[in-house]
Amino acid sequence: MIDRIHEAVRARGESEGDGDARTDGGTATVADDDAGSFFGSVSRDFLGSLPFWLPPFALMGFFVYGAIGWNFALSLVNVQQFNQPNYSQLDFDQYLRAFGDPSFISAAQNTAVLLVAFTLACLVVGLLVAILVDRHVRFENTFRTIYLLPMSLSFVVTAQFWLWLYNFDNGLVNVVTQALGLGRYKWISNPELALGAVVFALIWQFSGYAMVVYLAGLRAIPDEHYEAARVDGASTLKMYWRVIVPQLKGATISASVVLMVFALKAFDFLYALAGGFFPPKGTDILSTMMVRQAFSAGNRSYAAAIGIMLFLLAIAIVAPYLTYQYRRGEL
Amino acid sequence: MSDNDLSRRSYLKGASAAGAASLAGLTGCLGLGGGGGSDPVELLHGWSGGDGASAFEAMHEGFQKEHDVETNVKPIGGSGNTTLDARISTRLGNDDPPSSWAEWPGQNLTQFTSEDLLGDIESDVWEENGMKDAYLEGPKEAAQVGGSYVAVPTNIHRINNLFFNKSVVESAGIDPAGLESPADLVEAAATVEEETDAVGFSHAMSSPWTTLQLWACVFLGEHGESAYDDFISGEGDQDAVQSSLETVAELSAHFNEDAGTVGFQEANQKVIDGGAAFFDQGDWAAQQYISQEGFEFESEWGHVPFPGTDGLYSLNMDSWVYSADGPNPEGTKEWLRYVGTKDAQVRFNTRKGSIPPRSDVSTEEFGPFQTSQIEEFQNSKAQPPSIAHGLAVAPETLTNLKNAVSNEFSNPSMDAAANAAEAFMNAF
Repeated sequence: MIDRIHEAVRARGESEGDGDARTDGGTATVADDDAGSFFGSVSRDFLGSLPFWLPPFALMGFFVYGAIGWNFALSLVNVQQFNQPNYSQLDFDQYLRAFGDPSFISAAQNTAVLLVAFTLACLVVGLLVAILVDRHVRFENTFRTIYLLPMSLSFVVTAQFWLWLYNFDNGLVNVVTQALGLGRYKWISNPELALGAVVFALIWQFSGYAMVVYLAGLRAIPDEHYEAARVDGASTLKMYWRVIVPQLKGATISASVVLMVFALKAFDFLYALAGGFFPPKGTDILSTMMVRQAFSAGNRSYAAAIGIMLFLLAIAIVAPYLTYQYRRGEL
Repeated sequence: MSDNDLSRRSYLKGASAAGAASLAGLTGCLGLGGGGGSDPVELLHGWSGGDGASAFEAMHEGFQKEHDVETNVKPIGGSGNTTLDARISTRLGNDDPPSSWAEWPGQNLTQFTSEDLLGDIESDVWEENGMKDAYLEGPKEAAQVGGSYVAVPTNIHRINNLFFNKSVVESAGIDPAGLESPADLVEAAATVEEETDAVGFSHAMSSPWTTLQLWACVFLGEHGESAYDDFISGEGDQDAVQSSLETVAELSAHFNEDAGTVGFQEANQKVIDGGAAFFDQGDWAAQQYISQEGFEFESEWGHVPFPGTDGLYSLNMDSWVYSADGPNPEGTKEWLRYVGTKDAQVRFNTRKGSIPPRSDVSTEEFGPFQTSQIEEFQNSKAQPPSIAHGLAVAPETLTNLKNAVSNEFSNPSMDAAANAAEAFMNAF
């Protein structure tokens, strides 16, 4: 056995010394003109591939990153409604204004609360539902569809739907809380409850997504792991907690990134809920504030500055995920 | 093989050239705008459905019957002109204005005139068809900014209304015509709740403008027109503002409990169903009664001016503005001259439920409710502009006022009234 390995290593050493032979065992039949020039081959590849990536790259660059850049430039000047920007005077006044503006601070706080509470709750609910569905219950596919269905609905529909559910007089939520002896609440107009009510509605809509991601993760875990845990005498709870859930790290990370980006975009839901630029007190988030400043108050530069901060927030969420993927060699 | 190589290479060159060309083309598109006289007249408005859509359609038909001008009409729906405003704002921001669009007149127009985006149409439009003589002072003032005419109002909605369900108020023993002040209204609402199962006053608070509008009516009713004028010019009396907010807070004890989650149509439905006695809203609310089978004016529902505002006709209007740099200016002026005629205003207003700003329009074609409103309008001693619809204050002030309602007064109370009054004063 050891002799054969030595033989193989020797053979490799010999072939490396031989210029004509290739490591895959074949031989190069056509001599390469640019074999001596590394840069020559790069530039030829570069030029040759140009038509394939340049148009999409230029279009993306212009319409997406160009627009972000323009937005940044706009945030450095002071444009009110329709007056023309004066780019000779650039400063960070709009950002300073934001940090001194109590409504910005409270919108930022609400955004943070929404982001964390919504994402965590969605993951927990999604995981529980995925585990239940994965235990080969009857009508498994039906349940899966039912849980996923809310995600296919538009925010405009779900916002109106929850407005009815949260109605003080005849909304289902109050009917239930009253039946349980908890009394009735003004879910939307009480600022202490409003954000929680919004988060709950969003969880209803998006936990189905977390379920699908977790379900795929659960399906990828071999049955042997369950069997081994059982043989070693683990209870169901212990089996999931110690053996199964730790293997869902990848699913958790990718689901939470998507959910957090959804949370940043909860604008549509709040806009539809209030039918305008003024979400119920206690639920104003950065994206609703940005649109209100841009299109209702006409403070374009201030809105642009809020937009840039929102963009940085999204980058801050996505970047660690991309780094993680890159380190694992999946990018 | 080398043949293949060649053809592939030339194909790639072609592809890259095409890519570059299309990119250049797209970039070029962004710079386009404006246009010459032969372009169609581009009209943007917010009446994408219901009575508004049919009203506009009728007016547009009338225009096309008499004039040979090509038009390009774009209805952009969304409550309270929100979506339309955002679109207009984007178009103007990109130097790509339409020819004319429907806009609330008055102070709302200052956002455009301060950047010279609207043109003067005094000699080309207002001096035609006897418009200057036919329009009352309030609408004429709203059509001007800084002394020059830039818009043509086509319809007037009244804001200071008090609607009521007749059988509910009768069984509570109340005569709405006898309510002389907002305080009387609070008392009447309390009586309704004592005597019947109905809610005293139906209100919608899912967006802030409805409460702002209610406060404006109460303020006008308690402190009169000159205090109102002072407030909209930024010199209001904070105590007066606060006392009216307190009246709203007192009235809120008699609101429907679900006010926070309903819009004005749902709140109005409670009056129709007999679940509520009183309702304050612009006269578009009456259109909801009129379209309800078996719910007739003066037998099932009634109307009085908001208590304390008798003789005042608080205005909300729609108007068509003249864009300084839009396509086909001559055709646009023809459109604006037309919307200022009797024919256009009868066609539009009979369907919209509003009344014509021209005082020389015959009332024959209007229903009994509109006829009584037209009479009250023509006999009104003043026409104070609406705050909640931007006629009275600039857009940024309006945003601040709505913010103040949303942040400080979404749960009306005496404490909230003090904070909200301060925020109202700081809105200017």
